Amino acid sequence: MSSQRKKNFQIEAFKHRVVVDPKYPEKTWKILEHAIHEIYNHNASGLSFEELYRNAYNMVLHKFGEKLYSGLVTTVTSHLSEISKSIEAAQGEVFLEELNRKWADHNKALQMIRDILMYMDRTFIPSTHKTPVHELGLNLWRDVVIHSSKTQTRLRDTLLELVYRERNGEVINRGLMRNVIKMLMDLGCSVYQEDFEQHFLEVSADFYRLESQQFIESCDCGDYLKKAERRLNEEMERVSHYLDTRSLDKITNVVEKEMIESHMHRLVHMENSGLVNMLVNDKYEDSGRMYNLFRRVPAGLSIVRDVMTSYIRDTGKQLVTDPERLRDPVDFVQRLLDLKDKYDQIISLAFGNDKTFQNALNSSFEYFINLNARSPEFISLFVDDKLRKGLRDVSEEDVEVVLDKVMMLFRYLQEKDVFEKYYKQHLAKRLLAGKTVSDDAERSLIVKLKTECGYQFTSKLEGMFTDMKTSQDTMHGFYASHGAELGDNPTLAVQVLTTGSWPTQPSATCNLPAEILGVCEKFRSYYLGTHTGRRLSWQTNMGTADLKATFGKGQKHELNVSTYQMCALMLFNNANRLSYKEIEQATEIPASDLKRCLQSLACVKGKNVLRKEPMSKEIAEDDAFFFNDKFTSKLYKVKIGTVVAQRESEPENQETRQRVEEDRKPQIEAAIVRIMKSRRTLDHNNIVAEVTKQLQARFLPNPVVIKKRIESLIEREFLERDKNDRKMYRYLA
Amino acid sequence: MHKLGRGHRDKLQQFMTITGASEKVAHQTLKASDWNLEGAFDVFYSQPQVKNFTDSRHLEELFNRYKDPYSDMILVDGITLLCNDLQVDPQDIVTLVVSWHMKAATMCEFSKQEFLGGLQALGIDSLEKFRERIPFLRSELKDEQKFFEIYNFAFGWAKEKGQKSLALDTAIGMWQLLFAEKQWPLVDHWCQFLQARHNKAISRDTWSQLLEFARTVGPTLSDYDAEGAWPYLIDEFVEYLNENGIIENGQLNDLSHRR
Repeated sequence: MSSQRKKNFQIEAFKHRVVVDPKYPEKTWKILEHAIHEIYNHNASGLSFEELYRNAYNMVLHKFGEKLYSGLVTTVTSHLSEISKSIEAAQGEVFLEELNRKWADHNKALQMIRDILMYMDRTFIPSTHKTPVHELGLNLWRDVVIHSSKTQTRLRDTLLELVYRERNGEVINRGLMRNVIKMLMDLGCSVYQEDFEQHFLEVSADFYRLESQQFIESCDCGDYLKKAERRLNEEMERVSHYLDTRSLDKITNVVEKEMIESHMHRLVHMENSGLVNMLVNDKYEDSGRMYNLFRRVPAGLSIVRDVMTSYIRDTGKQLVTDPERLRDPVDFVQRLLDLKDKYDQIISLAFGNDKTFQNALNSSFEYFINLNARSPEFISLFVDDKLRKGLRDVSEEDVEVVLDKVMMLFRYLQEKDVFEKYYKQHLAKRLLAGKTVSDDAERSLIVKLKTECGYQFTSKLEGMFTDMKTSQDTMHGFYASHGAELGDNPTLAVQVLTTGSWPTQPSATCNLPAEILGVCEKFRSYYLGTHTGRRLSWQTNMGTADLKATFGKGQKHELNVSTYQMCALMLFNNANRLSYKEIEQATEIPASDLKRCLQSLACVKGKNVLRKEPMSKEIAEDDAFFFNDKFTSKLYKVKIGTVVAQRESEPENQETRQRVEEDRKPQIEAAIVRIMKSRRTLDHNNIVAEVTKQLQARFLPNPVVIKKRIESLIEREFLERDKNDRKMYRYLA
Repeated sequence: MHKLGRGHRDKLQQFMTITGASEKVAHQTLKASDWNLEGAFDVFYSQPQVKNFTDSRHLEELFNRYKDPYSDMILVDGITLLCNDLQVDPQDIVTLVVSWHMKAATMCEFSKQEFLGGLQALGIDSLEKFRERIPFLRSELKDEQKFFEIYNFAFGWAKEKGQKSLALDTAIGMWQLLFAEKQWPLVDHWCQFLQARHNKAISRDTWSQLLEFARTVGPTLSDYDAEGAWPYLIDEFVEYLNENGIIENGQLNDLSHRR
């Protein structure tokens, strides 16, 4: 023995022979199998978790996982088969309860089994890609119990039956339903869908199809909608109580389709209860319900909107073309405003202020207001009436409200330039007669028009106001400097109007009485003294006069008359009887005006300061006039001459129209020149489109008129046709 | 001409002697061929007969024969005489062609410059030559392009001096004349329409566009395009034809037969 022997230390595995009992796996399995039995038999309390776990653990460790797993499958399957049989045997109501109970048991058992077999779950199963224990349990339940041939259909039918009964008003056990449905959901999404949901949806569709058919035959629209709404809410509630939330949209779609979409047209058009009826009778609740329900289906709202639109258009069209309505312009406009208010209300209360409905309303109004060519005139007359008397004693805010409404109608007009023309005329009359209720209201409206249409639209109107103010100052100056010498003369109040701003009137002849002429001339020289280079012409057709008259029995009256009437009446200071011819000669007033003036002095009851022979209504050339000594009136002040704005007669209307057309020609030409100047060359259709676009804020130009203007411009060598393409025009600098 | 160098002057003389052309023509031709005598001869002889030598003395005589005793213009009497000499009706359309060549400003009168210039351009210096030319002048109307120019020239020529538009009667007369040559089937209807509906003078644009219309739109109006930016008078004419059943279903009805 040498002392230099190397000593190698080796650590070796424990080599003692482990006696592997060939019966080991079988024995261990039997223990576990027994445990599973006990668990399923509600006898788990006597088991030791630790021991069972260890046994399972050892089996897996010693590579008997396969046996363990397959044993598990077999055992659980056999238990489930028994359970399945007992469920199948259950009668009537008990079926579902039994199923529910057994399911709960199974889950508990499965939990325990999984805990015991946890080691296998975590090691053997993943590595062999087998189904984990819990999932396995569920699958087995599904395959053995739920999908057993008898149970599968029976389960489905039972559930659907319960739903059906609930729909018919019975109270069912919702808790039980919820649990069973949840079971299906736990078994997998496809189980829920295939075993229950898709049948549920089919059956529901049939149910609602039938029900909706019954309802529609027996109910009116409002009731039907109430029922539909109720069913919809019911289904939503049902889902929240015992169905999968993902079913919500699906079932509501079914209800919407069967109850609403299939019957949309019939509902809307239902006689005496459909949409039109609701609109006419302001049934906000019903129409609101219709809106909310129809909103849910495709094209639902368009039907509602279209029916509403065509109804409004028809109503509006009737309104504007009804000859009765057209007699009273103020009433006409008021009705338009009322119509708008009504539908504004409906849209706000029932249709949730839906913008598309608002737009439909606006376009409808724009459509029918412009069907009547006299709309601009009437709207101006409405404003005139309001500013003349309608707005007296109205608060400032309310005045604004009315004016805003007028502006709203104004915006619908296509021919805004026609409105401008009438507005100017009526404003002139108001200002000159001093008949405006509130200066602030007038100015407020001008500001609104300016905001809407720009400075050019209102510059002349503002000029009119300025003239009135300036005239006042001028009068003060006149009387301040000449007051003394004018003492005895008639008092004069002159408004000096700047020609461009005021509506043009053709000047007419009229011989003023001597007393008046004198003071007028004094004014003229005063005015021209301070304003050189100007020309004044008396507008005798627009003036008024106050005359003090003494009648036969000494009764005195103050007569408020037009200038023409004054000229005629003053003649009777020097004569008792005058023939028409004599009056005509003396005053030189144009025949038609003179006839009208004499008519209002002699032929109107209560205002007949003159007597006519013969007593006919019409003025004939050889009539004779007498001062009416016997004239009486309850009032001291008698108003005879009125220059109130009235709706024009047909010929006057034609004339105004013509003037508007004439005014439009230069505007169109200016637009053409503007466009061509920047584009240099452009083809015909594009010019027409551009011109229309530029002018549409004022009026809609007629393409034929545009063509004529283009030709006129070619004639005047502003434009030429392109030599190669006759549709193109070129700007000539 | 005074600035010509000696060499050029000689060439000019030579050229004039050989070809018989006027000094002006000779100068132009030589200049155009870069003062190369041979080249100039080529150019000269290859040109159409129109540029032939005209005797300016003869032209003067001709002018004096027709001119008005009190002014330097040929007026109505002179023109009548001229037409007689040419054996041509004064209303004959060939007078228009002649006026066109002369670039006459107004109908029924020729200034001296217009007369001389026109005849010279045509290579006419005697009545005989003039008479010979008449068929040629007539034939020019058949040429599409020349007709176009003559037609448009006619507007300015036929209208009153100082007016922008052409009086309706004159226009109708001119149209009858011109479209007799061109064979436009709707010309009578057009004139009737104008008399019935329009009754005002004709603008230049309408005049020239009418030719376009006659050329491009067939008599059944099947290819009339309402969006075609035709003058509004023509649009109204189409309406008139449709209203009065003259054009019905794409057929041109000759209403004269219905009477």
